[in-house]
Amino acid sequence: MAQLTRRNFLIATGWIAAGATVLYKLGDRAIAVAPTIIFPDEGMAATWIQIRPDGSCLMYFPRMDMGQNANTGLAQIVAEELNISINDIEAVQPSTSEVPPLAVTAGSMSLTAFSRPTAIAAATLRENMRERAAKMLKLSSKDILDDTAGFRTTDGRMVNYADLVNLSAIYVEIDEESPHPNLYTFDTQRQKKQVGQPARPLGIKGIVTGAPLYSADVQMKDVLFGRAVRPPVHNAEIAAVDTTGVNTVPGFLKLVQEDKFIGVICKTPGSVNAAMSRLKVTWQVKQPINQKEIDRLVNVDKELADGNLENTFHEESHRSDANWKIDLRFDVQIQSHAAQEPRAAIARFNDEGSEHLLEIWTGTQDPWAMKRFAAMHTGLDEKAIVIYPQRMGGGFGGREHYEVEYDAVCLTAAIGRPVKVQWTRRDEFMAARNRPASAHRIRIATDDTGKLSDWWHAYISGHVIFARDRLPGWLLPVARLAGDDGVVRGANPAYAAPHQRVEYKDVDFPVDLGVWRSLNAAPSLFAIESAMDELALQLGEDPVKYKISQMKGELPRLKACLERVRDMAKRRPLPQSEGYGRGFACGIYEGRCFVAVSADVHVDREKEQITVEHMCCAQDVGMAVNPDQLSAQMESNMAWSVGMALLEQLEVGDDDIKSSNFDNYPIVRMAEMPSVDTAVIDQPAIPPAGAGEVALIAGPPAIANAIRRATGVRALKLPISFADIE
Amino acid sequence: MKLKVNGTEYEIASDWQDESLLDVLRDHLGLTGTRFSCGIGVCGACMVHIDDSPTNSCLTPVSIAVGKEIMTIEGLAANDGTLHPLQQAWIDEAVPQCGYCQSGQLMRALSLLREKPDPDDTDIDQAMNGNLCRCGTYPRIKRSIRKAALVLREVK
Repeated sequence: MAQLTRRNFLIATGWIAAGATVLYKLGDRAIAVAPTIIFPDEGMAATWIQIRPDGSCLMYFPRMDMGQNANTGLAQIVAEELNISINDIEAVQPSTSEVPPLAVTAGSMSLTAFSRPTAIAAATLRENMRERAAKMLKLSSKDILDDTAGFRTTDGRMVNYADLVNLSAIYVEIDEESPHPNLYTFDTQRQKKQVGQPARPLGIKGIVTGAPLYSADVQMKDVLFGRAVRPPVHNAEIAAVDTTGVNTVPGFLKLVQEDKFIGVICKTPGSVNAAMSRLKVTWQVKQPINQKEIDRLVNVDKELADGNLENTFHEESHRSDANWKIDLRFDVQIQSHAAQEPRAAIARFNDEGSEHLLEIWTGTQDPWAMKRFAAMHTGLDEKAIVIYPQRMGGGFGGREHYEVEYDAVCLTAAIGRPVKVQWTRRDEFMAARNRPASAHRIRIATDDTGKLSDWWHAYISGHVIFARDRLPGWLLPVARLAGDDGVVRGANPAYAAPHQRVEYKDVDFPVDLGVWRSLNAAPSLFAIESAMDELALQLGEDPVKYKISQMKGELPRLKACLERVRDMAKRRPLPQSEGYGRGFACGIYEGRCFVAVSADVHVDREKEQITVEHMCCAQDVGMAVNPDQLSAQMESNMAWSVGMALLEQLEVGDDDIKSSNFDNYPIVRMAEMPSVDTAVIDQPAIPPAGAGEVALIAGPPAIANAIRRATGVRALKLPISFADIE
Repeated sequence: MKLKVNGTEYEIASDWQDESLLDVLRDHLGLTGTRFSCGIGVCGACMVHIDDSPTNSCLTPVSIAVGKEIMTIEGLAANDGTLHPLQQAWIDEAVPQCGYCQSGQLMRALSLLREKPDPDDTDIDQAMNGNLCRCGTYPRIKRSIRKAALVLREVK
């Protein structure tokens, strides 16, 4: 029944106009790992590949592009299965009216969840084409051999895909229960032509030539410009408003004021800026916002003194009175996504009788959630709304809320013409769902031989996945009874100790929180890998050897990463002069991605400067579909590691967010970027996993461990300033 | 008011004459390759050339650019579509991730190579330090600049 519905849907949208299309429905289990979190009742995700009558291949990109280039990897898989080049694939980013809902693009799930279904879909299409060729030539399909963009017969005749597809619509459906054809992508014996190659990201030419790609690039007839006032936190209420003089601004058209919303509509972007500067809004916040309050909330030592923390994540014959060799507290501060693109959206209402009454152009990780939100907001039927997803100028977990879209819809509804809303950099900081601060108390004991005997990690963090307004209000308290997967991520140590306890508490913060690259894994691994490094030093052991010797059971993939990175680091000798140090760290992300990092740091006491000069990163995320893009993600994570270790902290003021731009929230610049060596450890027999946020778990502790060796000082909080290590 | 961008002269409507150069380029002339990011001249995403000088267009009133030659990312490739060696190097090295800052990076790199046809690492660090890339594509930007510099020197 579901398949029939989907087929009809595709015919209705014109997708199956002509050519051969393959349809694939992900099983419910696969959906469960990548849900549309806000409304978790969504049915399915799917991917489409079509061979058109001219033999070319059309592919609907199932992922929202924000720099991770996952779609390029999926296109490589399609190309491998169909014996074509990825340059032969025309890729389309579908609107919400062209395909049924696809799961939110998040959590580095794109290749993990989509690679296999994509391969099955393309392989099924290929085999269907092969049967057609056999039928046409009156041969057995085993005599039809693969060739570029088609087949050849054993006696040398060529059949192209174009010869096999006619102008009527053909669709090839996949039954999940029946066996699928041989998947070239996962065939370890096959000499692959597309998968495993360093293919250039699709669409790269548009980026280097300045083509329109992002939301604010959309041009529209009769468009107006507008913006709304952003609160410092989303649950703030308006206490007072002064709009004096706003209507004297040249180009000003309308003030829109309803409930918690105050915005302006003007003729030009400049007049919006001028009008907005006239609006004075005083906000009433529900919880005091200041650093002291945040420090108080995460005070893990005080909570521990009062008893156990709320949740025990892991417990094995725990002893609270072991002879602790390591007893350290690590603190990590709040960080913002600070994506390069401040969000923008355009909304337009159309006349009754139009195909869609409301159209929204926006860059979002979850277009289908935007559609549902817009339906709730406007009271329109979901069918009357369409979202055109645009490329995102960075996401990092921060683009899943209906906000800039809300502003655009409110304003366009108020004036009856399309309105473009471009947030300012300050708006972007105010709206951010930041990574919470956290505080970690780590205690480790060993036996007489230096073997780990006791492990006790207790920490307090703000909510992540169950942060405010990531779920409907009524659901939140219920959801919070379950563990917050974002808060526990990374806290399960890679090291074995017969006595273990990992406990945590997640708390409501005065500032808005949410999903940030690697969630809580990077803060937890900073604490874990710093503590293990300190222990190795105390024991007089080599940290790499010691960590490998203490790993749980057999972790050959993690061990291989650590050994590889140690060898890579050796290639560049560390200067013997004072102030230089090299540190190592490693970790496992989501149980399936393995990474190790080394950092060479120079601490200059005269200039009062900490410089990360060089980093090495070795990573194993299973099959390397595109090794060059895996390296790119490692490089990106090394940049973020330097930012997290040395620069970034969301500054909060008195009931306000102080960080408002790149001058008071510094991110890594060219001169601060270390040189980076990367190694991709390929596992052709293991399905690929996402790599967008893996290496960030090991970078910051590698830097802290390097500083320890350069200065003798153990950094206990991030970001590390020179004053901390004086 | 008239504005000359990439060799073409445009008439600027009266409503737009008090706008920033960036907003005029993007929302009046439809040249959206130049991008808005910080609005205070600290990130370089909106960089264009005014009479060959790299300039943050977000802070530049359009009136200042009148009578001058403005060059944007849309003017970097040749008229026949042949990519500039910098653009080709950017593709060969697969520089962009999210891509949002790359127009500004390319425009700044172009003026660097005009000043210094054979830049060393310090020259590149200094010239490019005002152009932020949140994705951290700096190592690839550096490699691409060196690669393009080599191509450009060979052409000469």
